[in-house]
Amino acid sequence: MVKHTYLHDKHVKLGAKMVDFAGWHMPVQYSSIIEEHKTVRENVGLFDVSHMGEVFVSGKDATVFLNKIVPQDITKLDYEKAVYCQLPNQNGGLIDDLIIYKLGIENYLVICNASRIDEDLNWIVRNKRGMDVKIDNQSHNYSLLAIQGPKAIDLVRKMGYNIENQKSFTIKPAVIEGVKLLASRTGYTGEDGFELLVENEYSEFLWDKILEKGEEFGIKPIGLGARDTLRLEAALHLYGNDLDEDTTPIEAGLSWSVPKDKISDYNGKEVIMNQIANGVSKKLVGLEMLDRNIARHGYDVYFNGEKAGHVTSGCVSPSTGKNIALAYVKNNKEICTGAIIQVMIREKLHDAKVVKRPFVEKRNRV
Amino acid sequence: MSFTEKILCTKSHEYILKGDTCTVGLTDYAIEQLGDIVFLELPEVGDEFSKGDTFANIESVKAASEIYMPISGKIVEVNSALVDAPESLNDDCYENGWLVKVEPTAGEDEYADLLTYADYKEELE
Repeated sequence: MVKHTYLHDKHVKLGAKMVDFAGWHMPVQYSSIIEEHKTVRENVGLFDVSHMGEVFVSGKDATVFLNKIVPQDITKLDYEKAVYCQLPNQNGGLIDDLIIYKLGIENYLVICNASRIDEDLNWIVRNKRGMDVKIDNQSHNYSLLAIQGPKAIDLVRKMGYNIENQKSFTIKPAVIEGVKLLASRTGYTGEDGFELLVENEYSEFLWDKILEKGEEFGIKPIGLGARDTLRLEAALHLYGNDLDEDTTPIEAGLSWSVPKDKISDYNGKEVIMNQIANGVSKKLVGLEMLDRNIARHGYDVYFNGEKAGHVTSGCVSPSTGKNIALAYVKNNKEICTGAIIQVMIREKLHDAKVVKRPFVEKRNRV
Repeated sequence: MSFTEKILCTKSHEYILKGDTCTVGLTDYAIEQLGDIVFLELPEVGDEFSKGDTFANIESVKAASEIYMPISGKIVEVNSALVDAPESLNDDCYENGWLVKVEPTAGEDEYADLLTYADYKEELE
């Protein structure tokens, strides 16, 4: 059975094109992906991302437990701070990528991908054996609304929320438009903004309020189509495309989220530390096509006539008009430093240049 | 008679306007479903295809799709202006948004499974 978020009827009424995504019937676009994308880059957009998983982790051993399942050092996470991390298996391959929020003493919120919630929970339960930890999957009780774009802050302020002391990658209990919620200054677009975690029954009221108050800022509802092009321009990984169980955070270019000085052991640590010390054989790079062709997920990459990797995500970048992609290639200095490589598209090779990620400047660092 | 009253459609969303040379394109329903068109690849004049062959490729922001020949034929003209401005298909896929002109190379029986636009629309419901 395909699941509906509490905002499903709103999307249908707004005329959204609906698709099945990770078991949910979700809006892929309301008007046009390009138009919605530009709205988020220039003004502000509202996303229903209630399909995401919310798991509360608490109990005497919560910190020790989380520290055992992610490379980030959770012992160093401050109250109300958020941290991007991954859930590696014993080989360092990734079961999922997550954001962990510290809500209080031995009290955490984990937000994970809709497509991976079952795998995550299985893995978490297997790893908590013998520990005093409560795992509370609340995904079905919460809606998640994301407000993203250069005018997101003005909008949230307009809604009466005092954001002055809330920096990027923090979460706070808040009351916005009379609704009790958790306000997180995070997102998946490369823009500044908030993600609001709210009990299902208030989600429709909040959705309408945001659109109403956002009108003067040019707000539009944004579908999953633009969410994908926005995250790809910002070179944010998508699980299932750019991350999987055979790829480590080091190969994925996520070394910045893997502390080298973490003392505690965690799943996959040996492999991951060995890759930090001795290098990796494959590496995620950005590509820019040199003709009009678009590299898509699964296409092969060639260098000097030999297969050198594959594309994991690709699209036309609505902000730059260039055709961009992420690809795993052999970690060879010649390829990874601005080489011209080829992508096999419909049985023909098309030139692309290896370029720096992200493809657009991120504006969410506060 | 409006354009759509004159065309026949395939279940894979191509249309054909019959004539000595036939005009082939994609229906408005197909364009609507694809969304923002960002790429179009057309065959070359002189290329020959059988009914059902892939003769062109189209991509929206989200995905790549193949376009199939509604009948067997030889390409006699391609709408090359569209290749440089594929987004114009979102505004007009009929009068100015045709893809290729084709000289049929097989018999009338190839039209048997094509639908009038009205029947095609009904089929979609």
